[in-house]
Amino acid sequence: MEDNILEFRNVTKRFPGIVALNDVSFTIKRGEIHGICGENGAGKSTLMKILSGVYPYGTYEGTILYDGKELRLQDRSIRQAIEEGIAIVYQELTLVPNMTVGENIFLGKEPLLPNGSIDWDRLYAETAKILEKYRLDIQPQAIVKYLGVGKMQMAEIAKALAENAKVLILDEPTSALTEAEVDKLMEILQTLKEHGVTCIYITHKLEEFFRITDSITVLRDGKAIITAPTRELNLEKLVSYMVGREMKERFPKGNRHPGKVIFEVENLHAIDPNDPERKILNGVSFDLREGEILGIAGLMGSGRTELVTTIFGEYGKITQGKIRLDGKEIQIHSARDAMRHGISLVPEDRKGMGLVLMQSILKNISLPNLDRFASFMRINELAELKAAVTQAKNLAIKASTLQAPCDSLSGGNQQKVVIAKWLLSSPRILIMDDPTRGIDVGAKYEIYKLMNELAERGVAIIMISSELEEVLGMSDRIVVMHEGRSNGCLSIHEATQEKIMTLATGIAEMV
Amino acid sequence: MATISETKSRINLWEEILKRFRLNIQTYTIILALVAIWILFTILTGGAYLKPQNFSNLFRQMTVTSFLAAGMVLVIVTGNIDLSVGKLAGFVSVVVAYFQANIWNHLLPNQPLIAAALSVLVGLGVGTLFGVIQGYIISYLQVPSFIVTLGGMWILNGGILIVTEGKTIPANQPAFSEIAQGYLPSWLGWVLAIGVVILLFYSMLRSRQRKRQYGFELSSLSLDILTTTFFSILVIVYVYIVNMYNGVQTPVLLLAITAVLMSYISSNTRFGRYAYAIGGNREAARLSGINIRKNIFMIFVLMGFLSGVSGIVLASYVGYGTIAAGTGYELDAIASCILGGTSTLGGVGTVFGAMIGSLIMTSLTNGLQMMNVQPAWQYLLKGIVLILAVYADVYFKKNR
Repeated sequence: MEDNILEFRNVTKRFPGIVALNDVSFTIKRGEIHGICGENGAGKSTLMKILSGVYPYGTYEGTILYDGKELRLQDRSIRQAIEEGIAIVYQELTLVPNMTVGENIFLGKEPLLPNGSIDWDRLYAETAKILEKYRLDIQPQAIVKYLGVGKMQMAEIAKALAENAKVLILDEPTSALTEAEVDKLMEILQTLKEHGVTCIYITHKLEEFFRITDSITVLRDGKAIITAPTRELNLEKLVSYMVGREMKERFPKGNRHPGKVIFEVENLHAIDPNDPERKILNGVSFDLREGEILGIAGLMGSGRTELVTTIFGEYGKITQGKIRLDGKEIQIHSARDAMRHGISLVPEDRKGMGLVLMQSILKNISLPNLDRFASFMRINELAELKAAVTQAKNLAIKASTLQAPCDSLSGGNQQKVVIAKWLLSSPRILIMDDPTRGIDVGAKYEIYKLMNELAERGVAIIMISSELEEVLGMSDRIVVMHEGRSNGCLSIHEATQEKIMTLATGIAEMV
Repeated sequence: MATISETKSRINLWEEILKRFRLNIQTYTIILALVAIWILFTILTGGAYLKPQNFSNLFRQMTVTSFLAAGMVLVIVTGNIDLSVGKLAGFVSVVVAYFQANIWNHLLPNQPLIAAALSVLVGLGVGTLFGVIQGYIISYLQVPSFIVTLGGMWILNGGILIVTEGKTIPANQPAFSEIAQGYLPSWLGWVLAIGVVILLFYSMLRSRQRKRQYGFELSSLSLDILTTTFFSILVIVYVYIVNMYNGVQTPVLLLAITAVLMSYISSNTRFGRYAYAIGGNREAARLSGINIRKNIFMIFVLMGFLSGVSGIVLASYVGYGTIAAGTGYELDAIASCILGGTSTLGGVGTVFGAMIGSLIMTSLTNGLQMMNVQPAWQYLLKGIVLILAVYADVYFKKNR
């Protein structure tokens, strides 16, 4: 039996004007968990698209040996890749929400009775068999849309396994998972390994590579820089391979001098306006100083995002508590109100909530700021363009022209556009909800630098983050949330990962 | 890719033309389709198709549904639909006919001009009011526009039967007829043409001057002159041809003004920009502080107003208010938008495109009628053309 399940030999993929993959050669051993890491644009997705047949055989140079034979996928049909045993679990899940787990797994290949109708008994029996074999803890008859994100992902994995996948590609599988769900996923991957399934694991969370992978390939600018067993690498080495230079500090040092308190939230309670029974905030209090970065930490579902969208006037209905700006109580009922008070929000989901993807960079940057360029009858398009050009320059947004649609940009650049659009409104308070989610190390660093600059100029920043290291690396103070309550506020000197976690899990309480 | 800079290296004229062409490839494709249809019918009818008389009628025929299409673009861009516009135009036309035939001649005998003006006001009022009601239900009561306007269509159909009592009402009084059947004297046509040409050149130069003030690199002067000259020639040729028949048609003039205004509103005002943002990503628009309800409400009010215009032109055009007035016009208007590149998913579409789309639909109908093709085959061919056109668009997008 061949030891290598996949072998890339001198694979080169060119697009007009750009070489996405440049003479890439490396091997993936059978049954291992192989991490692929690299900044955005390093070539990870291109490589995966070749593997799944989106870029079929003949559109790239070089050869790929799969199970000892050359892989020749035809004509954009990912169907063939799946039949060959290569399956991708996508970043955005691809299940039909209104169908059951079983229906989803057998979609397109339902077992039939002799009369041509679907053999439901067999379908669910087979589903149960697969779920049991890989120890996936979901019900075959559960409707997908009622499952949490973590279980949806299990269903997705089950679907791939039902096709007898030999190679399973996981693209950013943990970006939407809670800690507990991540743990569960790691267990599942171990089970898959026991069954001889090879996994290719892609993520921006570098720590995960060390938790789960057996070996790692680093891609940079379309080239395979190194493939090495994970035990021979560490975080610093990995980062330096990725960016091609020693990166001593992931977080730039700021020279911040927090001033007086400008914004206070006192004992805020709120309910979901669409479901008044559901309490989303149960007493949140904090204050915010000029020129300070206030981190908000907490597990997924602790009410972090709900808190900031409620402050911004666009989600929860406030039932109790006060919000004060400069000592005066204010009411915010809409994004427009918030903007009038000098509050801006860089939302969590940049594609879904931050940008109009089909529109140009220019139009996205000016969207919340048109009032400054427009009378009732007319938009001064040149003033608009001028302002946007200045923003794009300051933030070093990389694009050939401001007329380029946002969906043509990389994640990091998209996030810069979202930030640009909100900076143009000159906020006093900038709320950033997970500002570096899913973007590469280099772009992260630039965004951190920008946050420092803003804070130095006196802007008060509230930063939500799922990464503890980021919260610890960037904040002056940290508010920890647990079940809709602020469970304490730590100064950066006293904060440690352990302290934050004990507060975030509700093990300890601070008043 | 390079970081954005204001400076661009100079490129020659031909490359710039190609670049501009590529940027607007979709618009040029349907203009080419229109030219192809005209050439085809001119050959098939032995040249009669583009004779001044038919040319003049062709543009007059397109007006009634084009007013609807001009408003429909923004409705579709925000991700909505309005199925009631055809029947609303029809309802307005019978109401206006009713006032013309039964009311003004009692209250204002022998005052055709005042009567016509009042009829126009009534028509615009009825259309706008209906737009207000539908818009309110859609945007503030959150009932899907498909349902509201489907219901609206049936209600209006009932309204038409009530007003007409099943009979045809004449609306062929002098002055009122001029709205859709009048022509400008040829000297006025020429004055207008020259005015438009001067305006085109003036605004081109003005825009260059302003760009310079803001410190932006200018596109080459020869290219700008070339484009402006091209459009000027189109205007002059148009006026020349229609002057060989009866002169510039009043409804076409009205439509041209409407289209320019709507085009301006959709791209140069906050109202228009917000519509595209809402259609492109509702959540992002909301978080950018846009009042979505108000914007959609206003778009339906505007749609109602334009349906009023369409209804007035319709009554004047046919000279009657009939029970079948406006039947199917909503679908013609929607098809015109789609042909002109408006996306049914929202966020994309231009008024200019919709006007060309409407002209294509009318050109087809007109040409087929000239060739005495039976109505059954006319429908069949129109259906095929619509589907083919959209398929071509999908195909080119995929293979670009």
